[in-house]
Amino acid sequence: MVTVELYGVPRLRAGASRVEVPAGTLASILHALASALPGLVPDIVHDGRLTEHALVAIDGREMIADPELPIADGSVLVLLSAAAGG
Amino acid sequence: MRGNFGRILLVELRGDRVAVEHVPLPEAVYQAFVGGVGLGAYLLWRFAPAGVDPLAPEAPLVYAFSPLLGTPLTTTAKFAVLCKSPLTGRISDGLSSSRFALAAKRLGVDAIVVRGALDRLSWLHLDEDPAACRAEPCPAWAGLSAHELSDMATKQGLFRHVSAIGPAGERQVRYATISNDGRHAGRGGAGAVLGAKRVKAISVRGAAVAGVADAASVQARARDLAARSAGAATEKYRALGTAANLETFDRLRILPRRNFQTVSIGQAAARRLAPEGLARAAEHVRDSCAGCTIGCDHRYGGTRIEYETQFALGPLIDVDDPARLIAAAGACDALGLDTISAGGTLAFAMECAERGLVDWPLRFGDDVLPWLGAIARREGAGDLLAEGTRRLAAVIGQGSERFACHVKGLELPGYEPRAMQTFALGLCVASRGADHNRSGAYQADLQVGVDRYRADVARAPARVIESEDNAALLDSLILCKFLRGAIREPWREGAELLTMVTGLSRGEDDLRRSARRIAAVRHAFNVREGWTLAEDRLPDRFHDEALEDGASLSRADVVAMVDAYHAARGHVPQGGPSERLRRELELDAWLTDAPPLQGPASLG
Repeated sequence: MVTVELYGVPRLRAGASRVEVPAGTLASILHALASALPGLVPDIVHDGRLTEHALVAIDGREMIADPELPIADGSVLVLLSAAAGG
Repeated sequence: MRGNFGRILLVELRGDRVAVEHVPLPEAVYQAFVGGVGLGAYLLWRFAPAGVDPLAPEAPLVYAFSPLLGTPLTTTAKFAVLCKSPLTGRISDGLSSSRFALAAKRLGVDAIVVRGALDRLSWLHLDEDPAACRAEPCPAWAGLSAHELSDMATKQGLFRHVSAIGPAGERQVRYATISNDGRHAGRGGAGAVLGAKRVKAISVRGAAVAGVADAASVQARARDLAARSAGAATEKYRALGTAANLETFDRLRILPRRNFQTVSIGQAAARRLAPEGLARAAEHVRDSCAGCTIGCDHRYGGTRIEYETQFALGPLIDVDDPARLIAAAGACDALGLDTISAGGTLAFAMECAERGLVDWPLRFGDDVLPWLGAIARREGAGDLLAEGTRRLAAVIGQGSERFACHVKGLELPGYEPRAMQTFALGLCVASRGADHNRSGAYQADLQVGVDRYRADVARAPARVIESEDNAALLDSLILCKFLRGAIREPWREGAELLTMVTGLSRGEDDLRRSARRIAAVRHAFNVREGWTLAEDRLPDRFHDEALEDGASLSRADVVAMVDAYHAARGHVPQGGPSERLRRELELDAWLTDAPPLQGPASLG
């Protein structure tokens, strides 16, 4: 399983701060996420892709976007708002 | 030309007298510098004598307005305040918002330049009618916050729109703010400059209207932009405020804690300080600036909390009690202190105290309210802290300079440079010191394809330059940066907005040249005031101490990035524009050593 942690607007839209989904490609994970948390659709996740309003970091370090990227079992994805400014 | 008045108001103070004069500006100035921070930078260059003491009477303070101000376009009720910073000795430009901006432009001018000083603490009234401009002593107002002063004066019918300093500005604390409508021109100590002129408050009254060239197009674009501003791109600001950053940044391990010693406060503490935690500690109300359709202003117990304040008065000084954080932020607002520099200076002092370098009763996690009051009133050790981190380190010595977290004397904002190495470059080269507003290069570090733990000498300079130029555009138009996500093509849209407002045809390339010219003038100002390449550096801590997750920042890499940045900007090694850059941006016409634009002769 892959753990997805949600922050900012994604958490607000989803009404959850953490969810577990089966490991797979990033696209499959985003599809699973959209099914589990429909509040993320369409502004955060749309057609298995992240929209411009969100970012996802693997293990909190590297931002990723390639839908074919395999996400290993046990990984943690951090889903956050794209607007970073303070 | 519409949108501008083609003139500025030059205000000369001496003794108890005020002289004012309208000084015309040629249309070419607006084409070259747009407005806001761009126009202000040009005026500061022209009116500040080279090498001037920032707190001397002859040092100018510039309020600069913009062509979009006063139009129905969302988020444009803003103005810029510029001076030579008493904290850094370099250029300082702050932005503030809301009703004072709208009222001040109705004086019928595009900028106000204040020079000289009064002999007593006074209220300066500026009027569309020059004969009605005056200064009135106000000794009874000494020690009042800007908010108290504004409330009192409104109730007494004295004035409605005021820009004022708090106690910190009166005592020339080097990071004192200028306040209006509960907002602040915060960084760099402009409040100290106004305090040195013994001006407690500036009120404005006028009815002039600059108008727009194409009213129908402006109205249509205003509706469109307002609709876009209400979409998903700005939802974070609207629904949560920038305070939502703290928990995210803690998770990404970029949240500075304990004077940049570590990068996490832990999930439980982060949740206590997140918007939900703040709302449990104090009543939450959302507000907005005048004419803004985003509404990012989240207040807790009446105090506005945004990320930088939350970081600087929370994790940076190791406070994780939301009530204590809110109280400290409220105190900074009332005293007129920049929250980032106040928190940064306190964090440095706390580390010095914990290391035994000073014997002050000050430790990480302490209640800082008594200290904030002492800083603003320059009492006891507060007098030293009022000088800011760099000067404090110079007094304390004993190697403390290596963990004195500033660049050019300006305390760092809340992003860990060892874990955001594009932003590390942005901090080094920003013209006003460690800066997250005139350079938003932290955004580059949070993009796909950027390894934020690596100093990318080949790509980072271009990313920083693009960020600086984008900021120069938005800060000169002036549009709120929180619209960034709603404006996909800022250069094209900026050119369209300027054309429909002013009637002067502007293009994308033309605006890009303006942004580069603004950057060049800022840099030239700093060079004139003593800049050397050696100050484009981070403190030793960031190179000599790795983070607990192993992240480190090579000193040699930073030097290489800074050198590459200046080469890409077209700067010569000793500072200033190359001959090619001078020609390309026609800088010789602007960076002239000609005497300042003439001022009122009535004071002799």
